[in-house]
Amino acid sequence: MTAEAAKQLDPILEELRSIVGESNASAAKHIRYAYSYDMSFVDPKMPDYVVMATEVEQIQEIMRFANQEKIPVVPYTAGTNIGGLCIPERGGILLDLKRMNKIIDIDPLDGVAVIEPGVSHAKLADALFPLGLRFGWPVGPPSASVSSCAISHGIGGLNARYGLQSQEITSMEVVLPTGELVRVGSCAIQKDAWHSTLPMPKLDGLFKGWLGTTGVVTKLGVNVHPAPPLLKIFTVSCETVEDMYSYMLNLSNYEICDDITAVSWWLSQVPIPYPYKPKPDDAAEWNSYATTFSWTEKERDARQEIWEKVVAEEQAKGTSVQVTHYPEEALRGRTQLPSQVVGSTKNYCKQGGAGISWPGTFTPAKKWAPVYTRWKDILIGRNLSPSVRMSMYRGVHYGMLRAMIPFNKQSKEETENARQAIIECLRVDLDEGGIPYKPPVDFAKEINKRADQGYLMLLKRVKEMLDPNDIMNPGKLGI
Amino acid sequence: MQWNIPSLEELEHYIWRCTACGTCRVAYDFGPPATCGEICPSGSEFGFEGYMASKGKIAFARGILDGTLDLADPEFLEAIYKCTICAGCQSQCQLDHKPYIPEIFEAMRRKAVESGVGPLPLQKNLLQSMKSYNNPYQGPRRLRTDWTRPFKKAKKPIKNLNKEPAEIMFFVGCTGAFNKQAQGIPQATASIFQKLGLDFGILGESEVCCGSTAMRVGDAEEFKRVAEHNLNLFRQMADEKGVKTIITSCAGCYRAIKKDYCLSADYDKLMDGIEVIHTADYLHRLWQEGKLPLQNAVEGTFTYHDPCHTGRHLNKFIIDEDGSELWPGAYLELSEEDCLYDQPRELLAAIPGVEVVEMKRVRANSYCCGGGGGVMTGFGDWATKNAGKRISEGVEAGASDMVSICPFCHYNLNAGAKSIGSAMKLYDLTELIDRALPEK
Ligand SMILES: Cc1cc2nc3c(=O)[nH]c(=O)nc-3n(C[C@H](O)[C@H](O)[C@H](O)COP(=O)(O)OP(=O)(O)OC[C@H]3O[C@@H](n4cnc5c(N)ncnc54)[C@H](O)[C@@H]3O)c2cc1C
Ligand code: SF4
Ligand code: SF4
Repeated sequence: MTAEAAKQLDPILEELRSIVGESNASAAKHIRYAYSYDMSFVDPKMPDYVVMATEVEQIQEIMRFANQEKIPVVPYTAGTNIGGLCIPERGGILLDLKRMNKIIDIDPLDGVAVIEPGVSHAKLADALFPLGLRFGWPVGPPSASVSSCAISHGIGGLNARYGLQSQEITSMEVVLPTGELVRVGSCAIQKDAWHSTLPMPKLDGLFKGWLGTTGVVTKLGVNVHPAPPLLKIFTVSCETVEDMYSYMLNLSNYEICDDITAVSWWLSQVPIPYPYKPKPDDAAEWNSYATTFSWTEKERDARQEIWEKVVAEEQAKGTSVQVTHYPEEALRGRTQLPSQVVGSTKNYCKQGGAGISWPGTFTPAKKWAPVYTRWKDILIGRNLSPSVRMSMYRGVHYGMLRAMIPFNKQSKEETENARQAIIECLRVDLDEGGIPYKPPVDFAKEINKRADQGYLMLLKRVKEMLDPNDIMNPGKLGI
Repeated sequence: MQWNIPSLEELEHYIWRCTACGTCRVAYDFGPPATCGEICPSGSEFGFEGYMASKGKIAFARGILDGTLDLADPEFLEAIYKCTICAGCQSQCQLDHKPYIPEIFEAMRRKAVESGVGPLPLQKNLLQSMKSYNNPYQGPRRLRTDWTRPFKKAKKPIKNLNKEPAEIMFFVGCTGAFNKQAQGIPQATASIFQKLGLDFGILGESEVCCGSTAMRVGDAEEFKRVAEHNLNLFRQMADEKGVKTIITSCAGCYRAIKKDYCLSADYDKLMDGIEVIHTADYLHRLWQEGKLPLQNAVEGTFTYHDPCHTGRHLNKFIIDEDGSELWPGAYLELSEEDCLYDQPRELLAAIPGVEVVEMKRVRANSYCCGGGGGVMTGFGDWATKNAGKRISEGVEAGASDMVSICPFCHYNLNAGAKSIGSAMKLYDLTELIDRALPEK
């Protein structure tokens, strides 16, 4: 076929190919199919085209073209967000960025790494290790993108010390839906300065938590930190969620931990039982691990002393807190990060099979106990394990409250059962003041139902300003 | 003969265990130190998710099963053959379908062959050659023993098992026999055996392909034809010629006889009393017993390339068959006891003068040379390009020479080195051991 004939057959594909090269754009069904689903309960939908970009200029050209033709564009790095966020609601172009995977710079003096969107946690971990640096790795797949996690307000193993991944962002380069290239943070003023988004207006907020609907991030600066050599993990168990909350709150006030997390018995099992199975009577309902890293043994002992004081105080209150042994495999999976084992969903899905979704929320800590109690009823009522995690964020009394719900994706009924249970759980949490993160469209709708009208108006305005033709991952915000 | 070769439909349950987490996309190890590298030759070359590791191939399998994807679509057909069946992705996955991952890929190919569309045209030539010549190289029978000429000339003839008994059958394999660049491998093997005074023989012109390539490209019928012939012949040789051990220097033959042939219901009966062993393993045993005098120095900085077929393809997966530990069919753990990771390394290091350096991706995370799974036949340029990447990794490790124990890798890596203008020299381990052994 001549180039002219091909163009007539599918002018969009030919245009895309002229931008990224013949082999990097496809409309073949089998290529599109592999992007049509993820692990979540979100229904599969195919993109019309898949394009792999390797250069910023290519992304600009794609966006200009898509904007002119009003074709949706869905940015994608690994598709592991557990929320169907890369499943195209309205077809269009799936923009696969995994080949933009250069670590542009790691500056130990500034404590900043500058990366492209395709850089995976595994790749960054490999590069940081010899430099004695670390980052707050999530318990997700090592092959998933650092930048996509960070711009989605991801949660990692240092969030009690340094905050969420998005709080670690220091600067950004972004292609707007209309094709312009912009920078926010210090790199906007001096091109090689990637150290901070402050003290300017925090325009990085235009691209964080927007689920890929406001632009394509092409470079990201993130803080990386010196890695102290001595790890100590404080592990306790409690009979009740209330007691666990009390302990976590107390411990968090001392700010000695990198991560303070508690998981229900069902989540500490490898894997999460599917369908639900009752907890043995002699097992505590909650286990907690709190990681703390120190430079010297003296420092470690001082941290230990504080922790012992917290445990003693909690016991004096009459709570059921006990110093305990955390299940070995589960502990490794949560502290040796990034983890290939947890990342491969073994701890979650090995029994359930292929599907996993979550009500994943940021919830005030004081609401954890009442929400968990309701979630437990809902989930057990649907024969699902209440495999819940609570994590305290840096210096605040709110944090992650999340139930990891595996399900058998081969069965439509079981998938629907999980979906309904999760939506029900979400409603409970929203009504208690919690907010879901990385929300699938079903969640976004629930959020918007409760949202202040002024907030929705502002959201729409910002979106329209940046994306006048609503081409960036359209439909995901549920507005 | 009854064979237990599963269809794609029979594997559907396992296909629905994959969560699409994508962990199989990279070889990552927590360490410490943390290490990460590309693991999927197909994903590295073609990029789109469908090509990417088991995640993508399982998407293809689901698409076939739900009727969305049609194997008669030539582009899709080509896509399912763009995979070296290296099992690098399998090493990363931790779920219940892990043991069946390459099986799922090959089941797609079997379906394509059964429905008359597969394999790819160039691979069809190879299968035609197997039918006509009993080897994939279109080599007439009489050329199968060409490699033995130096032995005849030196008046050190090799026994023909059809005529004389011997305890050891040296199963040469088609690549070593017909591929000129790989002929040094059977020659070195036979030379070593002679130097060690082993009682061995070959099948000569009557050797028939092991069937590995046919199996890898999805032609189960052709595989069964040659495998049944070979299994019966092995029994006959054991009964009539006293063969107790089958030794091969070919990773592909080794994997086929050791693993694929086990899918026959008659395997245990026919192979009773016969041990199948790779040359490297056999020599390693002798070395441990002090019976391999590696005396001559071989100078160089060598790195060892783990062939997929002698490495992770030999993983043993422990499965909870009766559900007594987890649930029926749950994957429990992995045993690497059959994988030839340490033996070749220890032998290499034992050769005087040899300096060994390791590449970043080794053992279970070894990066495939790119030649397997019918890729060298179907996509020669890609196979070479991928081998070039592996050579570059060897160069980065500081090696001047690369060693392997597979004639297929040997050939492909050689081509890869040439393609990138590298001075890396390729050796089979037998060639180095032959040099290190004194003349008898
Ligand atoms: C088992 C498991 C455990 C997990 N644990 C955690 C955890 O502990 N903490 C956590 O935070 N997450 C977790 N996740 C979720 C997920 O793995 C991470 O958020 C991950 O880093 C997302 O990366 P990705 O490459 O898969 O992103 P994708 O799913 O490809 O993308 C995520 C979102 O970002 C958008 N996007 C992608 N690239 C760009 C770009 N360049 N510009 C603009 N938008 C873009 C996409 O459109 C999408 O909306 C887990 C997932 C799994 C499967
Ligand atoms: S094959 Fe295994 S590692 Fe790969 S995507 Fe599927 S579940 Fe994850
Ligand atoms: S077998 Fe090898 S080439 Fe094939 S998908 Fe797996 S890693 Fe890629």
